[in-house]
Amino acid sequence: MKVRVVQNVLDANDRIANTNRALFDEKNLYVMNLMSSPGAGKTTLVERTILALRERFRISVIEGDIQDTCDADRVAALGIPAVQINTGGGCHLDGNMVREALADLNLDETDLLIVENVGNLVCPAEFRIGENDKVMILSVPEGADKPAKYPLMFQEASVLLINKIDLLPYVDFDLAKARRDAQAIHPGIEIFEVSCKTGQGLEGWIAWLTRRMETRRTG
Amino acid sequence: MHELSLVLSLLEIVEEQASRAPFEKADSLLLSFGRLSCIDPQALQFAFSVQARGTRAEGAVLRFDIRPVTIYCLHCEKELSPPFFTGACPACGGVEVVLTGGTEEMKLIEMEVDGC
Repeated sequence: MKVRVVQNVLDANDRIANTNRALFDEKNLYVMNLMSSPGAGKTTLVERTILALRERFRISVIEGDIQDTCDADRVAALGIPAVQINTGGGCHLDGNMVREALADLNLDETDLLIVENVGNLVCPAEFRIGENDKVMILSVPEGADKPAKYPLMFQEASVLLINKIDLLPYVDFDLAKARRDAQAIHPGIEIFEVSCKTGQGLEGWIAWLTRRMETRRTG
Repeated sequence: MHELSLVLSLLEIVEEQASRAPFEKADSLLLSFGRLSCIDPQALQFAFSVQARGTRAEGAVLRFDIRPVTIYCLHCEKELSPPFFTGACPACGGVEVVLTGGTEEMKLIEMEVDGC
């Protein structure tokens, strides 16, 4: 007998993500899910963002890594509450892992929760965690062909940071193509060109994030 | 490696379906996903053959409906279906294109079941 189902295979994860989101909304906090390849500059962006916004907002961080705590240690060194999730080989965070990590954070004392996903351009795009925005970094040494190769990630992200632009003179990175392909995959995606090392261009990102948080928190 | 997570969720859905309208065994599962969703049918098949052992889906045949890549070219003013997404129109070479299909996430469309 044939049984018609038509159900998203990741429905179970989506249900947990929705429960997370309801909790975030109730606590009036804004959650961003930060995704990129390994080594694109996620933790450096987290540090830069903390330094720019720590006077205005109470920030907490969840760090997802396959193993070790060095990213969480970097964040904790700034005096920011940080929880490390070790996926033990898993290539992405899912709704349930984030749910369990929330128990170690004081959400009543948090305005901005940054979740740094496992470095990977494939799997994190599929697994919602209840975030308000997915934020993506593409660093110029990776090459301008990444949007065309990993379109789902670019489709899911609200904003794309093209990082390490201080290296543009030394690498073959077709900035126009990267921007064009990202727009072809996700018309209207916000794009900022930044260097998390030198700080160049970060003011646009910080202004965007602040605007998103304020829009979210006022209604 | 997301194939493993996808298979675990898939098996949960099969069990959930069986608890609603009981059946003994799933003989085949029809899955649909986009060509650009980075899902590897072989890896999926392998993960399934391991994870389905001892469940009512053990031995079920996986069938795939892989949704094609489609783009809309603003210059040609039509939808085309190139084998890959390159950021350019395969007909005119123009780069004024929008990706319109191929990243669909995985869905379980239907199952053939036995022993209802």
